[in-house]
Amino acid sequence: MKEHIHPPKWATRLLHWFCGGHLVGDLEGDLLELFNQRVLAYGLREARRRYVHDVFSLMRPFAIKREPEKYPKPAFFHLAMIRNYLKTAFRNLAKHKMFSFINVMGLSAGMTACFLIALYVHFELSYDAFNKKADRIYRVSTDIRTNSETIHYSISPWAMASNMQSEFPEIETYARVQKDEMLFRRDDLKFYEDDALLADSTLFRVFDFKLLRGNPKTALVAPLSIVITENCARKYFGDSDPVGQTLLLGDESEPVTVTGLLQDLPVNSQIKGDIFLSMSTYTAHQDKTIEREWGSFGATAFVLLKPGADPVALEKKFPSFLQKYAGKMMAQQQMQIRMLLEPLRDIYLYSTRPAEESGNANNLYVFSAVALFIMLLACINFVNLTTARSVERAREVGVRKALGAAKNTLARQFLAESMLMCLIAFCISFILSALLIPFFNSLAGKSISEGIAHELPFVGIQLAAALMIGTLAGIYPAFVLSSFEPVKVLKGHLNTVSKGILLRKGLVTVQFTISISMIIATIIVYTQLDFMRSYELGFSKDQTLVIQSGTGRERDAFEASIMNLTGVKSASASSAVPGSWNPQAFSKVENKSGEMQAGNLDVYRVDFDFISQYGLKIVAGRAFSRRFTTDSTQSLIINETTAKMLGYASPEEAIGRKFEQWGRQGKIIGVVKDFHFKSLQETIKPLTFRVIDFWEGDLLSVKVDGKNVRQTLVAIEKQWKAMQPDKPFNYYFLDEFYDRQYRADERFEALFVNFAALTIFISCLGLLGLASYSTVQRTKEIGIRKVMGASAASIVGLLSRDFLQLVGLAFIIAAPVAWFAMDRWLGSFAYKTDISLWIFIAAALLSASVALATIGLQSIRAALMNPVKSLRSE
Amino acid sequence: MKGTYLGEFEEVVLLAVAILAGEAYGASITNEIEHQMQRSVNLGAVHAALHRLEEKGLLASRLGGATAERGGRSKRFFTLTIAGTKALDHIREIRNRMWNAIPKPA
Repeated sequence: MKEHIHPPKWATRLLHWFCGGHLVGDLEGDLLELFNQRVLAYGLREARRRYVHDVFSLMRPFAIKREPEKYPKPAFFHLAMIRNYLKTAFRNLAKHKMFSFINVMGLSAGMTACFLIALYVHFELSYDAFNKKADRIYRVSTDIRTNSETIHYSISPWAMASNMQSEFPEIETYARVQKDEMLFRRDDLKFYEDDALLADSTLFRVFDFKLLRGNPKTALVAPLSIVITENCARKYFGDSDPVGQTLLLGDESEPVTVTGLLQDLPVNSQIKGDIFLSMSTYTAHQDKTIEREWGSFGATAFVLLKPGADPVALEKKFPSFLQKYAGKMMAQQQMQIRMLLEPLRDIYLYSTRPAEESGNANNLYVFSAVALFIMLLACINFVNLTTARSVERAREVGVRKALGAAKNTLARQFLAESMLMCLIAFCISFILSALLIPFFNSLAGKSISEGIAHELPFVGIQLAAALMIGTLAGIYPAFVLSSFEPVKVLKGHLNTVSKGILLRKGLVTVQFTISISMIIATIIVYTQLDFMRSYELGFSKDQTLVIQSGTGRERDAFEASIMNLTGVKSASASSAVPGSWNPQAFSKVENKSGEMQAGNLDVYRVDFDFISQYGLKIVAGRAFSRRFTTDSTQSLIINETTAKMLGYASPEEAIGRKFEQWGRQGKIIGVVKDFHFKSLQETIKPLTFRVIDFWEGDLLSVKVDGKNVRQTLVAIEKQWKAMQPDKPFNYYFLDEFYDRQYRADERFEALFVNFAALTIFISCLGLLGLASYSTVQRTKEIGIRKVMGASAASIVGLLSRDFLQLVGLAFIIAAPVAWFAMDRWLGSFAYKTDISLWIFIAAALLSASVALATIGLQSIRAALMNPVKSLRSE
Repeated sequence: MKGTYLGEFEEVVLLAVAILAGEAYGASITNEIEHQMQRSVNLGAVHAALHRLEEKGLLASRLGGATAERGGRSKRFFTLTIAGTKALDHIREIRNRMWNAIPKPA
């Protein structure tokens, strides 16, 4: 019973925690005495209550104050002491060159990787951030729903923007841009400009592009005026002043006047261009009715909302707005348009609508995770190696303590060492980063950074991070080392080795888990890309040259003239080639139940030779033929997917069915086997072929003989120059062009391979350090074993087994994790490779052999050592 | 005379130390005040006052021996210094003078 009569323990503990050591005994005595009296006088409950109350009432400055020291205390940071810390730190680094090297290398590699990834992630997140009004700018995108499908566009009807501005007071202004390939000429200079844009005169009100010359309000108002960037100005005008000069535009050679000079657009701008042609050139000059068209989709429209306007409320008004202006058109064409606002800053990373360049938020997460992992690995190495060495330094600690070093002074010394290490690593990583930025830019495919001098804030953060890592990674070793008891250590009695070993093994396992996951992921990324590159696409893309040939009689004449050249096998004109953009046409096709099903279908406008030249297989009906005069106006060929969409069980059923498309009516004459005209990320969509009109089909595909490609190309170019002196000779090879669609994935792969290699490298550094340490520890054991007759092989096996077990454990953890993650990654591809068993086996073998190679050298050296030497050591 | 001014509670604590004459330590002082004033007092308040009074030089303290009833903890005994005695006398004198100055009802 008596045991229950005691004051609350936690209150006593609290008292001990806050109270100065010189007062605590006296105060606790008073508390206890009063408590005992009060138990008798008022009962246990009340006594306890008042005890707690009293403890809290003692939380006063006088009680918290510490006792003044009896001896003078050295200042917390004494210069001489710091100098001493640094001196010992340097001596230690120099004494253990191998360990220091591994530590510093690992850390600086990790820091560099982190730095570069941080640059990349920051760059990707900074898209369009230079626009001061970015938070008020929205892209108006559209979804079009027909009976067949829903299409997600980033473009919108031509008539939309101007009507929106007059309808909605929330909209301050709008600017539309439309990228178009245009031909510009000045004397002998002639270029097809890929980076030419039609832009509204309000462009400079919405976006913060810097106009160096010219008036931003009026520069793009008049038809046939252009604003060009400095880069472009140099190309056409050299050093002379471009403003007021003229260029000739297009096949008609209309003169356009330069009205402004623009600073080159920021790299992280969604809108990219070198030449901005006034929108009025198109809407008021070339096609005067286009601005009333609701059914014609063109430019990308950006609206600038007034400050404080609510985009959600605005979006809610869109359906009735569309009904009012475009209701009739939508009913006629059996389609529904939906408009939505996408915030400018979100478009690049999050929008899945078609875009010239788009980022991938998932990749950013992946890379951030990789950066963190790499840093983690480097830190683990650091902790591992330092604690592994604790035995060697135990004596030093013992002597220091015996001479009067306090625990926290020692801890500070070890912290100083780890900080120093991190600072050295930081310096190396600074130099490495500076050197690697250009390579990294080319790896990422864009100018992420112009050099380290432009990234000083990042360098600052990196320095801070380095110091933080130094502290964090140093805390554990500092704590362990400084808590050795001098008497035990100096007697040579050490049991810390076995205590730390579990931790070290655990950390090595974590490292290898990460590395093995990275290896598996890399192999899967690689096999997927390889799978896509070697996938049977259903058409032949080899030895095909695609020339931007223009249209009409000129093209026909050119085509006829090159057919005679040696090395040219065949040629065919079309408006699109696999991998290129192709339009979608509003079409009505008779389906299985006999109705005219409406939908927007992809269209290839081709000449009579296209299907045979591209090796497309006809599975039903026939290909286009010159023998049928109706083919050029009343025939349509569809792919198998279209036939399926229309409900036909076999392609034959589709033959002879009616269609209406872009002013043509007639019958389906053939069905081609499905082929991949877009990348393998997309499933095959319904596709229709129609014969080109003479003003269409500006791409000329030329099949050349594989032997003398270069000579044939020169001959074709010569022919072009003779026939078309005003136009540049632009061409590309189809296979390269098609594979360009995988460029983003290839970059992802390249980055992944590099960083995976880095993680493995860092893990191996850690393993190397640990292995070499443990062999040194076991020198004597090995000597004795050899004397007793152990073979070198058995000793190597003995030393390697421990580590291989860790690698095995890591593999067991890594395999399912990597499988899960990569299965999700593959989910984004419509056509994907299987994750087969060999990948895991390969990863296991690879990591085991890398680990073996790392440990092997150490163990073999130890095993071959003459036992006389090893037993004599010490 | 900043620093030597005595608050009401300090005066009470000082008086309690005087009453206990040599047997004054945290717990006994607390008990004495509770007994005299018929109200409960925080140990923290008492110790804070003792600490202040010692800083002002009105009290002196010494550590006494340990006793069993306190779980083996020692007591810190407080005694009045000469300054402390004088301060009490001074206060009393002022009070008396003021009492005397109250006009007697006719």
